[in-house]
Amino acid sequence: MLSLIVFLPLLAALIVAVLPKDSWVRPTAFVLAALQFLFSLALLAQYDPSTPALQLTEYRPWIEELGISYFLGIDGISLWLVLLTTFLLPVVIGGSWTAIDKRSKLFHASLFVLQTAMLGSFVAMDLVLFYVFFELSLVPMYFIVGIWGGARRIYATMKFFIYTMLGSLLMLLAIIYLMFTAQEVLPSHQMTANILELYKLDIPFIAGQFLNPQTLLFFAFSAAFAIKVPMFPVHTWLPDAHVEAPTPGSVVLAGVMLKMGSYGFLRFVIPLFPEAAEHYAWVFLFLGVVGILYGALVAMVQPDIKKLVAYSSVSHMGYVMMGLFALNTYGVTGSIYQMLNHGVSTGALFLLVGMIYERTHSREIDKYGGLAKVMPIYTILFFIVTLSSIAVPMTNGFIGEFLILLGSFQASKFFGIWAVVGVVLGAVYMLWMFKRVFFGEAGELVKDEHHPLRDLGKREIAVMAPLIVLIFWMGLLPNHFLKYSKVSIEHLVETKDAYQLAALDAEGRTVVFETPAKPILKPLDSVTTRVAGVEAK
Amino acid sequence: MTNLITLRDLLVISPMIALLFMSLIPVLMKVFSDNKEPKPFVTVVYALLGVILAVGLTASLAGMKQTAFSESLVFDGMAVWGSLIVLFSGAFALMLAFDHVETDAKQFSEQCFLMLGSMIGMLIVILSNDLIVTFLGIEMMSLCLYILVAMSREEILSKEASFKYFVLGSFASAIFLYGIALLYGTVGGTSLPVVAAKTGELLANHNQLFYIGMAMVILGFAFKVSVFPFHAWTPDVYQGASTPITAFMATAVKTATFIAILRLFQHADPSGPSAFLAEPKFLTVLSWLAVLTMMVGNAAAVIQNNFKRILAYSSISHSGYLLIGVITAGFAPRIESSLAASTVVLFYLFSYSLMTIGAFALVAILEKQVGHALTVDDLKGLSTRSPVLAGSLTLILFSLAGVPPTVGFFAKFSLFGSAIEQDLYWLAFWGVLSSVIAVYYYLRPVVAMYMSESTERIELQDGFLTRMALVLTAVATIVFGLASSPVLRFVSESVLNRL
Repeated sequence: MLSLIVFLPLLAALIVAVLPKDSWVRPTAFVLAALQFLFSLALLAQYDPSTPALQLTEYRPWIEELGISYFLGIDGISLWLVLLTTFLLPVVIGGSWTAIDKRSKLFHASLFVLQTAMLGSFVAMDLVLFYVFFELSLVPMYFIVGIWGGARRIYATMKFFIYTMLGSLLMLLAIIYLMFTAQEVLPSHQMTANILELYKLDIPFIAGQFLNPQTLLFFAFSAAFAIKVPMFPVHTWLPDAHVEAPTPGSVVLAGVMLKMGSYGFLRFVIPLFPEAAEHYAWVFLFLGVVGILYGALVAMVQPDIKKLVAYSSVSHMGYVMMGLFALNTYGVTGSIYQMLNHGVSTGALFLLVGMIYERTHSREIDKYGGLAKVMPIYTILFFIVTLSSIAVPMTNGFIGEFLILLGSFQASKFFGIWAVVGVVLGAVYMLWMFKRVFFGEAGELVKDEHHPLRDLGKREIAVMAPLIVLIFWMGLLPNHFLKYSKVSIEHLVETKDAYQLAALDAEGRTVVFETPAKPILKPLDSVTTRVAGVEAK
Repeated sequence: MTNLITLRDLLVISPMIALLFMSLIPVLMKVFSDNKEPKPFVTVVYALLGVILAVGLTASLAGMKQTAFSESLVFDGMAVWGSLIVLFSGAFALMLAFDHVETDAKQFSEQCFLMLGSMIGMLIVILSNDLIVTFLGIEMMSLCLYILVAMSREEILSKEASFKYFVLGSFASAIFLYGIALLYGTVGGTSLPVVAAKTGELLANHNQLFYIGMAMVILGFAFKVSVFPFHAWTPDVYQGASTPITAFMATAVKTATFIAILRLFQHADPSGPSAFLAEPKFLTVLSWLAVLTMMVGNAAAVIQNNFKRILAYSSISHSGYLLIGVITAGFAPRIESSLAASTVVLFYLFSYSLMTIGAFALVAILEKQVGHALTVDDLKGLSTRSPVLAGSLTLILFSLAGVPPTVGFFAKFSLFGSAIEQDLYWLAFWGVLSSVIAVYYYLRPVVAMYMSESTERIELQDGFLTRMALVLTAVATIVFGLASSPVLRFVSESVLNRL
């Protein structure tokens, strides 16, 4: 089931790539993506929300010599992220119907490959497999920004690629270290990258001292994910990538790819290195708050709508990080919810910005004004999304931010207060931008007689409709969504110091991992001093 | 010890005999028909037949653990894999050379003869168990290469390159030989097991002559694989030689020499800690050489525009990565882990050869069309003109950069893995850091191919074998990436066979 969900997009990419006519590409891609979304909905039916265990797991040895396996599984933490990914893809394809005018085959094939990589990293339960998907996702995005992007696209895409690669290579070293530690410490004496086995490691941690295994590993992993999220001060690739990316690229980047970072914190960093996470939580709370405030303040002065939305992403992801490192149920629940919200609202914002950009080829706020009279439907939709982005009650944003603020106040009043200030600033920059674009005197682009602006067409409304529905659905009935994640989150928060997950296969039987066949690289006789302090729980 | 040559000895060198025999046929045909060049197709078929025969003989001897010629040659798992990598690189280089034939048409049979001759030298280096024999092999390999580099009738550039290579190479050989002499004086023999047996004692006594001798031997090797600071010849020679020869040099020479270094380092006393690298002086110096090689190679490649020079610098930086693996193998305290690290080096050599051959195949194809040295700008818009070539090169470049799930990633993964296993964290860290720099210049051609419009239209001619080499290697980077498990297992089993 999970394999199918992950690899069907790859098949779709192949189909799209061999289509004989360019005009067939878009409808085919849309239908395939929509089918894929419907298929992935079956996950909800098969998923059992009453247990925190990994479900629907599939396990197969891959590179036995190194203990690397093909191991997929899903739980309450990743379930919604998977669905968000499959949901956004048809929306994106619908939204880019007219925006992408050259080499549409390559474009849609890249989108599908990207989808495989993103889905794979959400369900991979083997560290190396995760790393493979995590890195693979860079390649199609690199092409999407680089080929279909704006004027400075090559600078932006190179920066994006190298930045992300730097972080993830540090993580690779940490992964290798963990695998060897497992070989020396775990009773099986096998190298393994199976995350469930690695959870059993108790890596020595010395508070107040930097050069100890757990702290170093913690920061190596955090570097990779913090760049991906992106956290202040390593966020600088994001505005560039967003501004230069084509609309669909921005939507996928903001909607899903950033979540791969925050998901990584939740899945790997906190459970693997709980003491370090607790001890250094203040660093992330602090950087989260700085990100919120800094993102909001910088967004306020942006002359370009898209850059404004990009900086608002930095601000919103700051909330997500705060929620995670509040390390309590409210905070973590809120931050998972905020990941979904951000995917929906910011995705919608980027789509809306893309729609107006297609009409006027300009994103400068100063050139607009009085749009409300000319494009009423557009204005209404934009207003709803704006409200959701600034977390007005009854919209999805409110639930997420409220939970995160609850969590952060529980963790630290000081940071909680500053985060509330960020909420106010968020309202300021969004509403101010809204006022300047939609009200007041008609700007030069709006009153341009030669190019009268048309309001949204049927296709565009149809693309926006599911997003608007979700904004209210998630805002009014959060339990529809949260009930699936509740048990997993509670399990994580309550037992994070000795986190263990069981694995259930598709029929609900517990999976026991057999030690792979005879070891090729012989295990060391004695445990070396390096890991003398490490013990299996 | 008898001096009789037994059948067993001949069996061990049978791949070399096959190569020699088949390489002689086209040249003799030329001699007996009034110096008239035989058809290039015939020549290349004979040469390829020779390589195939050698591959078959090597493969059928695999699993044998054998010494020959009074223990001066040793045939073991490492020899099998080294020989196979060399022979396959050689075969691809021959295919490239065949499509390049209009450049070297008048002397194609000589070219093939020299290439096979050079391969014989490489096989000797790989099998050698004695420093003097290693020296002979290196000389045989290099002398053929000097001529091959000069043979491209193209420009002055190739003559200059050949001369540079020859002069510097002779220096390196002389130093190497002097090192052997010093070792002979201090150890009392040139056979590798003898050297290994005495090393611990000599190091404990701080025998200065031994230090100097060992340093000189390492220097001789370092020149051949272009380790910093002995790398300066590489870009010029790679640029000056005709592309098939460059591909041959970048892959086969490196493989053979690295295996010789492995043999030198790895012949440790199985009971105690490994000989040379247990000495912190050697470890420190070699580690810094590895780091500097990676950094210099990568940093210099960033500012290049000539595609062949980029690949030359990339090959320098890959020498640095390989040196990490070799250091790990020499440093590992136990023979099992040392052999495991050697496995990783072999796997890395395999993946590196695959990718490099592919990249040079593309250079060979495009070079003929543009009519001058290929620059990154010449690649502009290639993706619309020839999606297959552009796609293949993209795969290869991503693999060189180490992006999963290509074979380049898994090679790097196991390389850094073995370094971390031996607690050589700093080496692994520097390796990772320089990989990030490398991403920049590996992606520049991709930018040119996919993200820039072409300024001029170049008609692509066909060169069937070269195209095939490119596509094959590109597919192989993915296939061996996803299925690295069987490859790794085969290699490690045959290498562990040595125990």
